[in-house]
Amino acid sequence: MLESVLLMIRQLCKLYRSKYLTLLTLLFICTLNFSFAQSVELGESLFSSNCASCHYAGPEDKKLVGPGLGVHTIEKYSTEWLYSWIRNSSALIASGDEQAIAVYEEYNKVAMSAFTYLSDEDLTNILAYIEVGPPEVVSISAGESVLSQEESSDPRILLLIILAILILFGLILSGVKNSLKDAKGQETIGLLESAIIWIKDTPVVIVLFCLFLVFSGGRFAWNELLAVGVQQGYQPEQPIAFSHKIHAGENGVDCNYCHSGARHSKSAGVPSVNVCMNCHTYINSGTISGTEEISKIYNAIGFDPESKTYIEGYEQKPIKWVRIHNLPDLAYFNHSQHVNVAGVECQTCHGPIEEMAVVEQYSPLTMGWCIECHRETKVDLDNPYYHDLNENWVKKYHGEDMTAEKIGGLECGKCHY
Amino acid sequence: MAINKTYFQSLSQLANNPKLDLLQEKEFADQLPTEAFLGDEDKLSESSTSRRDFLKFLGFSTAAASLAACETPIQKVIPYVVKPEETIAGIANWYASSFYDGNDFASLLIKNREGRPIFLKSNDLCEYGGINARVQASVLNLYDTSRLKDPMDNGVSSSWSQVDKKIIQGLSANNISGKGVVILSSSIISPSTNSVIKAFVRKYKAKHVVYDAMSVSAMLDANLESYNRRVIPTYLFEKADVVASFAADFLGDWLDSGHGKNFAAKRNPNNGSMSRHYQFESNLSLTGANADYRTPVKASEMGLVLLNLYNLIAKKAGVSLVKVVLSEHRNTLQKMADDLWKSKGKSLVIAGGNNIHIHLLVNAINDLLNNTGKTIDFSIQSNLKTGNDQHIAQLIQDMNDGKIGALIAYNVNPVYNLAQGEEFTRGLGKVDLSISFAEKLDETAAKMNFVCPDHNYLECWNDANPYTGIYALVQPTIHPLFNTRQAQVSLMSWSDLGDDYYSYLKDYWRSNILGVTSWNSALHDGVHKLKTKEKPVKFKTSVANIVAPLANLSGDSIDLVLYSKTGLGSGEFANNPWLQELPDPISKTTWDNYLTISPRFAKDIGLNNEYVSNGALDGDVVDMTIDGVTLRVPILIQPGQAYKTVGLAIGYGRSGSGKAGDGVGVNAFVLAKEFKSILSGVSLTKVEDAVHEFACTQLHHTMMGRDRIVKETTLSEFNKDPRAGNEQMMLETHKGPQEPEKITLWEEHDRDVHWWNLSIDLNSCTGCGACIIACHAENNVPVVGKEEIRKSRDMHWLRIDRYYSSDMTEEVAEEEGISSIDKFLAMEVASTSKSLEVVFQPVMCQHCNHAPCETVCPVAATTHSREGLNHMTYNRCVGTRYCANNCPYKVRRFNWFNYSDNDQFDFYMNEDLGKMVLNPDVTVRSRGVMEKCSMCIQNIQKSKLDAKKERRKLKDGDVDCACATACDTGAMVFGDGLDTSSKVYAQARDPRSYHLLEELNTQPSVWYQTKIRNKA
Repeated sequence: MLESVLLMIRQLCKLYRSKYLTLLTLLFICTLNFSFAQSVELGESLFSSNCASCHYAGPEDKKLVGPGLGVHTIEKYSTEWLYSWIRNSSALIASGDEQAIAVYEEYNKVAMSAFTYLSDEDLTNILAYIEVGPPEVVSISAGESVLSQEESSDPRILLLIILAILILFGLILSGVKNSLKDAKGQETIGLLESAIIWIKDTPVVIVLFCLFLVFSGGRFAWNELLAVGVQQGYQPEQPIAFSHKIHAGENGVDCNYCHSGARHSKSAGVPSVNVCMNCHTYINSGTISGTEEISKIYNAIGFDPESKTYIEGYEQKPIKWVRIHNLPDLAYFNHSQHVNVAGVECQTCHGPIEEMAVVEQYSPLTMGWCIECHRETKVDLDNPYYHDLNENWVKKYHGEDMTAEKIGGLECGKCHY
Repeated sequence: MAINKTYFQSLSQLANNPKLDLLQEKEFADQLPTEAFLGDEDKLSESSTSRRDFLKFLGFSTAAASLAACETPIQKVIPYVVKPEETIAGIANWYASSFYDGNDFASLLIKNREGRPIFLKSNDLCEYGGINARVQASVLNLYDTSRLKDPMDNGVSSSWSQVDKKIIQGLSANNISGKGVVILSSSIISPSTNSVIKAFVRKYKAKHVVYDAMSVSAMLDANLESYNRRVIPTYLFEKADVVASFAADFLGDWLDSGHGKNFAAKRNPNNGSMSRHYQFESNLSLTGANADYRTPVKASEMGLVLLNLYNLIAKKAGVSLVKVVLSEHRNTLQKMADDLWKSKGKSLVIAGGNNIHIHLLVNAINDLLNNTGKTIDFSIQSNLKTGNDQHIAQLIQDMNDGKIGALIAYNVNPVYNLAQGEEFTRGLGKVDLSISFAEKLDETAAKMNFVCPDHNYLECWNDANPYTGIYALVQPTIHPLFNTRQAQVSLMSWSDLGDDYYSYLKDYWRSNILGVTSWNSALHDGVHKLKTKEKPVKFKTSVANIVAPLANLSGDSIDLVLYSKTGLGSGEFANNPWLQELPDPISKTTWDNYLTISPRFAKDIGLNNEYVSNGALDGDVVDMTIDGVTLRVPILIQPGQAYKTVGLAIGYGRSGSGKAGDGVGVNAFVLAKEFKSILSGVSLTKVEDAVHEFACTQLHHTMMGRDRIVKETTLSEFNKDPRAGNEQMMLETHKGPQEPEKITLWEEHDRDVHWWNLSIDLNSCTGCGACIIACHAENNVPVVGKEEIRKSRDMHWLRIDRYYSSDMTEEVAEEEGISSIDKFLAMEVASTSKSLEVVFQPVMCQHCNHAPCETVCPVAATTHSREGLNHMTYNRCVGTRYCANNCPYKVRRFNWFNYSDNDQFDFYMNEDLGKMVLNPDVTVRSRGVMEKCSMCIQNIQKSKLDAKKERRKLKDGDVDCACATACDTGAMVFGDGLDTSSKVYAQARDPRSYHLLEELNTQPSVWYQTKIRNKA
């Protein structure tokens, strides 16, 4: 315990030393403009859904497709210039702007997509976020996970320790008793022998023991039967060793960028290869096995990484991913209902996906699991869909929280048809 | 007394066969070959494998197999490589397109899921044409495994380049040798296709011959003679106060599938007035069943009836009368004539059949009534049927004379649907080069040199000009499934026009149709309208010449009327199992055609239908001979059928349609010589000992005196009291008479979110059955086949009950002192009088709010939702069938078998291709569970979710169930019964509204509205 606390303090100190200036600026900015914090937050979500696929939020030399975007990257340019660059860089280049042409040349004449739909406010927010940069959380979360792991393993260890102490106690006692008997000149009996004699003399113990066996066996069998078809923890090998840890975790690509169906449709959708190619046209190597894995995408769509062109007349080979989350046909589940309407985070059901190098099924996906959540989840009554319904409900439920259950979220036909 | 009789077991015994003596001693004449399966006895005893070992192995392998089965199979997810921009997995796209198959036109919206068309509905932007059962079912034809997968060269699969080379060679050779090249097609309404054909005709000096299987050539010819224009006008039923139809099945297959909705528009009693509909006909048609006054007439007497009507009208108009004997129906005719004259200029007289004299006379009557130009609009003409019977007759003659060098058949099947099919086949032998564009190897294509399979209409670009000024586009909603090619492209590539029909079509539209409108907006709307010019016509026929052929009666002979069923039409879709299983609206018979015969006539000539012990119907079989052609057909006794006239449906007896359609029924086209639909001089001979097994979905005929099932009244009664025919039922209680709804043991359900209601106006429902097919498509309702239907195991979630009126009522029984047993026996017999009336009632799950099914389910698999729906949870159901027993409406259906992936039910659900039509949002039910109408809960949930996503309230019209979308007449209205602004809220409060079996107080969510007949 002491060691881990010390470790944490040491790490925090390290953090303070390196990021001292940045943190001070952040604090300063926060005190200057209170509403700014809000816009940084908005900026972060805009950044992750629009920019993160090509830019890191960080120092300029941390390149993805384009340069890393940090305070130093953008301070070189005027705000107006940045606005027109982001909105339509090719128009700016075409207009003969020197700075624009310089950037274009520097990045091998790769044009940046136009973001004409971003409003001034959006752009202000994005730039604000870039100036602040992403919060540095890696080291703190590492410390947390150490702590939580210790906590979670506590009860079992405690039980084992108690058991060990009891056995030890028994041994000591029998040792003492034997040495006393020995001293009195009586015949000594070992601990095991005495236990056997005791059990033989008391049939209740035998009965209780048998009952214990039957019940624990029954419970074990019951649990096993319940687990038939439940694939919690299912972690199959995929045709491409795609790592969510690298993409969603380290690079912070928004879930919706690839699983764009989650907001609109019943299925979140496995991204098509052309979505991969948005980034992997330029990123074609990795540190460990990335180069090989990325080449599998090229093989699927027919892309030549050398010449950076698509091969004419290539017979494309769809990637056959192994399906992890399998709901039976009889159950209807809709992602958009949960993600878009109820605002459920992906991680609620899929677990810490951004930490999974190989994805596994985090939740049991059993009906009991669904229902448990429907019993507790509150309905967003601000949605105009519920407006005049709400008045009736307030009367009926005397102002209790409106859960999914109360609006019929447990009815069979809502998910089975 | 001694007995000298010899008892024998078989003839061999009597003949003293020696082998028999041997058999009497030993059970088997030869020693059983035990060696073969037990082997050497020594070896057997030496073997170390004992019986116990065997059982051990058996036990082990069973356990191993079950353990292995526990492992969940690995499933794959295969995303697109390059995802089309408009496709999001799980979300349907709707595309505007149109349908035309040579009979019906409909402007459509096609639902497309993950690139597969799975459902279609009417495009509201086009008021012409309409959806019927066949159009609704056409989506399944796309996934027909009997479609050709490659072009065929003399029965062998070939490639397009090979076939093209040979065909161009053949056509050029033909061009030189001077024999004619002919394109034989059904009516073509696509202007750009016509332009392609014109180019082909120019290049090869070819001829284009058009004929329609269900021909209206006589009507076109009559119009040519009467008005100097060989066209079909549009009939404005929505403007007609009186409709007098003479065997025109305008709610069925007469000219156009859009008449139903126009007719229904004029039949809303809440407006205070309704059109009055008279029907004279021989068969009981769907239209006749909906008539206010229906009169059965012997088919050959129709001319006489019309001449009598002419005289009555002529008398009023003050023109000279024709000389004719008086019809026995003169009283009804007088009434009709009075009504017609009263509504001069606002009435319609129409006739069916393909007899030019009848149509000339009808034109004359309409002219006297001043209807032409008012309810009969010649400025907007219908192009749906333009065929000419003489041209095809001439072609067959030319073919047999060896004058035709090359024949191209496009969307026609003359070997099957021409009475001269054999003559045609013979002629085909004398044609050097024959090419068919058929989608499958049908009767004609099988006899052709080359088959160049056309795309399905859902796979290709096309256009249509069904009516003057109405232009519609057809766009592909799926990539072609097979190596097929659009007929237009074939013609283009043979006439040096390239192979890009899409560009050709687009150019044609830009230069001829679109004007300033953009192509994209026309494509989005699916329909483009141009202003039409008034084209007045002048009537110029003398009636005197047509009297003689019409007044000529066939005397005592038996007449035959060929008719088409709403399900199968002329038989192009015979391989569509949905349509085969769609019960005929009148006879409620599936998978069959049969000779309809009146009860009195059947009795006279000793023919009978019989119920067998399992409740199914059997019928006698007759040999029917006309003009030397004999057909063996079963008979079905049909109330309402005219005496001495029998009816037979066309469209059956296919041999080249595919596994579902082949061999079902008999081909009636062989009788239709010269495209006649009415034939005289029929002789019927009963085939002794032959019994035909029918598969009917309804065998009871009447309501057995329980006239609160379909409530009915007349317009005059209704105008006096809007609740006429729908009086509040009262039950006696100790507190005095009470409404059934007030007497209840149950607590009310919460009704605070939505309350889904369906309202069915029995006055607008024509019983056409489009809703049944829509329900099939939307809810993956399986097809079970004839045998299962016969066992009353049909799976339709929605059925349409048909009831005949009966001559026996409680009052009559009391007056005549008939005992109650006799009374009920008589009540079940449909009326034999001429005033037989028919009512239809669609019945699906009523979603009772006090549901009898819910209380008896031992596993709570059927439960009530707070939105008023009766949920059915398949995965919970254990199949006790208590619920079906306790359902007073009998709408629950039990899955006796697995209907998918089962060779015993070899329909579309047993093939990968056919399964592509399944709706991915609805479970395919497995064996042993109950199922029923869910009010398309998948659509309800989707629309609610859309509203929540868009953060808005749900509005009326957002939610629809499949049956209501398919209902062109607007009889079915679906919506939220708590939304006071909704249509269904108003409908439920209509004085005509009632609940089915209201005395049971099940409090259904389905409302019916009293049927009103416009009778004096």
